[in-house]
Amino acid sequence: MVSKDEIKHLGWLSRLELTNAELDRYVSQIDEIIRYFDKLDTIPLSESEWSYSTKEVSELRDDTNRVFKWGKLQSLKNRKDGFIKGPKMS
Amino acid sequence: MVEVKIGLEIHCQLTGLSSKLFCPCQCDYRGEVPNTTICPICLGLPGTLPLLNKRAVAFASMISMALGCKVQERITFYRKNYFYPDLPKNFQITQYNAFGITSIGADGKVDLGAKSIGIRRVQLEEDPGRLIYENADVNANFYTLIDYNRAGVALVEIVTEPDFDNPKDVRLFLDKVTSTIEHLGVCDIKLDGSLRCDVNVSLKGGKKVEIKNINSFGDVEKALRYEITRQKTMLIREIEIKSETRHWDDARKVTMQSRTKEEEQDYKYFPEPDIPTIILGDQFISTIKAKMPELPDERKIRFLKDYALSDHVAKVLIDNKELADFFESTVKLYPSSPNEIAHWIISDLLGLVDDSKKEERSLLSGLRIEPKHIAELVKMIDQNKVNRNIAKSVLSQIARTGEMPSCVLDKMNASLIDSESKIAEAIDSIFELEISAVRDAKHNPNAMNFLLGKVMQMTRGRADPKITLNLIKARLARME
Amino acid sequence: MPNHLYHLTANQVTCGIRNGEFSAQEYIFQILERIEKVDNKINAFILVDKQGAIEKARSIDKRLRDGGAVGELAGIAVGIKDNICIKDLKTTCASNILESYIPPYDADVIRRLKENDAIVVGKLNLDEFAMGSTTEFSRYGPTRNPWNLDYVAGGSSGGSAASVAASECAVSLGSDTGGSIRCPSSFCSVVGLKPTYGCVSRSGLISYSNSLEQIGPLGKTVLDVVMVMNAIAGIDENDQTTKPIRPIATRTSEDISTSNISSKYTAGQNKRNITIGLVKELIQGADPAVSKCIYTAVDLFEGLDCKCEETSMKSIQYALASYYTIATAEASSNLARYDNIRYGFDYDPEGYEWNTYFSNVRNNFGDEAKRRIIIGSYVLSAGYYGKYYLKAQKARERIRQEIKSLFERFDVLIGPTMPILPFKIGEKIDDPLKMYQIDIDTVIANLAGIPAISIPIGFSNSFPVGLQIMADYMGEQTLFDVASFFEKIVDVRRSPEI
Ligand SMILES: [Zn+2]
Repeated sequence: MVSKDEIKHLGWLSRLELTNAELDRYVSQIDEIIRYFDKLDTIPLSESEWSYSTKEVSELRDDTNRVFKWGKLQSLKNRKDGFIKGPKMS
Repeated sequence: MVEVKIGLEIHCQLTGLSSKLFCPCQCDYRGEVPNTTICPICLGLPGTLPLLNKRAVAFASMISMALGCKVQERITFYRKNYFYPDLPKNFQITQYNAFGITSIGADGKVDLGAKSIGIRRVQLEEDPGRLIYENADVNANFYTLIDYNRAGVALVEIVTEPDFDNPKDVRLFLDKVTSTIEHLGVCDIKLDGSLRCDVNVSLKGGKKVEIKNINSFGDVEKALRYEITRQKTMLIREIEIKSETRHWDDARKVTMQSRTKEEEQDYKYFPEPDIPTIILGDQFISTIKAKMPELPDERKIRFLKDYALSDHVAKVLIDNKELADFFESTVKLYPSSPNEIAHWIISDLLGLVDDSKKEERSLLSGLRIEPKHIAELVKMIDQNKVNRNIAKSVLSQIARTGEMPSCVLDKMNASLIDSESKIAEAIDSIFELEISAVRDAKHNPNAMNFLLGKVMQMTRGRADPKITLNLIKARLARME
Repeated sequence: MPNHLYHLTANQVTCGIRNGEFSAQEYIFQILERIEKVDNKINAFILVDKQGAIEKARSIDKRLRDGGAVGELAGIAVGIKDNICIKDLKTTCASNILESYIPPYDADVIRRLKENDAIVVGKLNLDEFAMGSTTEFSRYGPTRNPWNLDYVAGGSSGGSAASVAASECAVSLGSDTGGSIRCPSSFCSVVGLKPTYGCVSRSGLISYSNSLEQIGPLGKTVLDVVMVMNAIAGIDENDQTTKPIRPIATRTSEDISTSNISSKYTAGQNKRNITIGLVKELIQGADPAVSKCIYTAVDLFEGLDCKCEETSMKSIQYALASYYTIATAEASSNLARYDNIRYGFDYDPEGYEWNTYFSNVRNNFGDEAKRRIIIGSYVLSAGYYGKYYLKAQKARERIRQEIKSLFERFDVLIGPTMPILPFKIGEKIDDPLKMYQIDIDTVIANLAGIPAISIPIGFSNSFPVGLQIMADYMGEQTLFDVASFFEKIVDVRRSPEI
């Protein structure tokens, strides 16, 4: 059973501060969904895993540097003296 | 004796690369205007994908091999998910071995002579950006300035087994690893922050305490000594040691509990879907093997064999690639006396280096001495053109001016010949002061030496002792 | 000059422009007029780039007048799902989080479309970050089904399908993570393709679930989809998961020389003795209104030397759970970057403690995005990784293996694209699990990485029904041969009255 605290904690891990109304809704919805996922558990762990596609090392990117040309339209915000301004760390 | 267990996590920036780990941006961010060596990829803009750098894989393989690791045939990248403003994607692409070994290196061993240290894994990962505080007190800032130039620079993380039981071995190990990395040419260790080390310490098989933020390798030993003492004191007072992360306070030289309460961390690792599993294959591995430069251990053996150096001398040279290279360049210019050359380098030359430079491991940067100077100097000593005392002062002169030894010596000789009358003047004044010694000197060699010493003292050693002695003898003879 | 240029297929458009029947500008003005006229009802477009479209049309006309060369897709009006980056054009993912985001680069598919002289007319509506099956989870409101405006268009590429169905553009690009191209294609009666994983570069596609999704084309005909597919597919140095693919053959060399493709298009015509696997689980799970339509079509094929055989795919029982576990896991990580520091909306970080700032900002995610982030976070968290994420990967491998063995017996596998007919807007929005369950037929192709196409197969209660055809890994050629063959036989193409 998925608990309210669990959802709250997961929300925090994802930096989502959920309202009480959201929490109540998500708890029941997510509980139902997770229980639906439980059928995965009938597959034995010993079974082989999805093999991601592979690539030869020779096909990787060559180590040469290139300057990216930023366009006229400002894509980055909160600039201060060339830095990007962020929130305070304490 | 309380059992101490220490493990290390070393981060080595691959400054030998041209571009970052996952994008074509210039890897060298030092001295650049903030946020200029960035592109949509290293900034994690929506829609961008990581483009793994081939040479970074090669460099990491070299480091793995040099540390005795098995290089894996297939490597996989993982996402380590956590939020932090210096992390453009709020996850770091790294490697992870919990579900089978997929990091580039694993199960290595580094020989420290008396013991060996296990290397748990060697992995590739990306560096985050840098946070800058306008006010040195972090709490006093209302905002943070972020420079993402460093974001995405390739790092190799080396994780050891907790095989150390004392800080001194840690120091030995770090010296060796540093030299190894230098020999591989993958990282310029002189650059600030190119090598960083986190340590973990546990006593009596207790809880592990991690120490981060140790900026220089020199401080690793200090931090460890402090932390071991701290924990021992706690044991004596029967205070429970908690598993925690502490920070090394560089100014106060103590470890501090991290200010931010460590959240119960869950990094939610999972395989990075945008980078396929990379097959390194036999050919790649054998090519890297063939291209591996000579490593410290092999070089030491060669030094012992080819130059008949003592074990200690060879070790001092090789622990710092700069010295070893200097030595070999010098021997190439003057092959007759490798031992004499080695001694001149590790005692006299090193004697001229500031301690601060030793810490930075950039020993010779401030001095103007080159191999050609030492080669000529040693040759002149061998040919009895100069004695060791004078040679030493010649060397300190070279350190400042960069002149050739013969040139320095010619000038010195000229001043010596010029000053024969000055030596006579000095002898005159000493003879007036030391009447009793003068009287004894005719019969007593000790008194004669005493006078010589006085004259040398007066001339601050610039008088040639042979000439001076002859002048004293002549003067005594004239008195009879 | 034909009356309604906007009704033409992409192939007809580019042939008409090349042959001088009408100009690119005449065409594009009609398209823009059409958008103006109907999109307030459909809500397919988030942004219309009038100026860019007119300029491009002008340059094509000028080159043709000067006897210069034009690209394969010259003059064709293309709409782009708004999770694909176009340089200097707002890209929102239909999210408040990206409402003012302007990418500084073109997605690889956009670069290829531009090089081929297609005319990008604008950005199309979707579920926020492509998470949804109805296009209801958009900050710009739902896209409406052109066949009945009270009904959903399907999703998440609802704008991409509805715009083509409503003739607001000739073709469009969508993205398909678990059916997001095929579902709206089926609901809106257009052709939509999810290519083999790795055939089309994802560079510039704003990630939802990286290991599952692909960009793909939607169009009025199979040929239109092939033309766009050939333009956008191929290896890309900006996406290390791309693989080389051979262009899909649609015509003989003499056709190319006459540049009048539509009349001589022959692919699939000689196709005989196709062995078709009819996936039992998919048919049985479908609404009778849908399955009846599929059976009718199957009867038609069987009469034409095709070998149709019912087959079973046991691993389907794990498909949805596996899909949603993997998709939400990857999504929770992909969406972490939206902290509003480097780009985003105006909200000065000064004075905020960083965790608070992040939480405040990220509250701008919509309901479904938040839900998926939390589910993804759940299945990846230390205690549950082995129970869910790892098992989902194992299920995925099982599905892949079973599919592989099925393609040893069949050229293609078919079934309904969607198990149900389009439903009313708002009908399922409060029941996420029910909403997820309508993806059951489509997620299989994403899990296995194989190509799948949805083609209109008929109507049921005046709602469109789509047939899904799946082919083996890299089997695009087979897929198109069969799809165009079926298309010719059933021929249900018509336009909705709006
Ligand atoms: Zn970059």
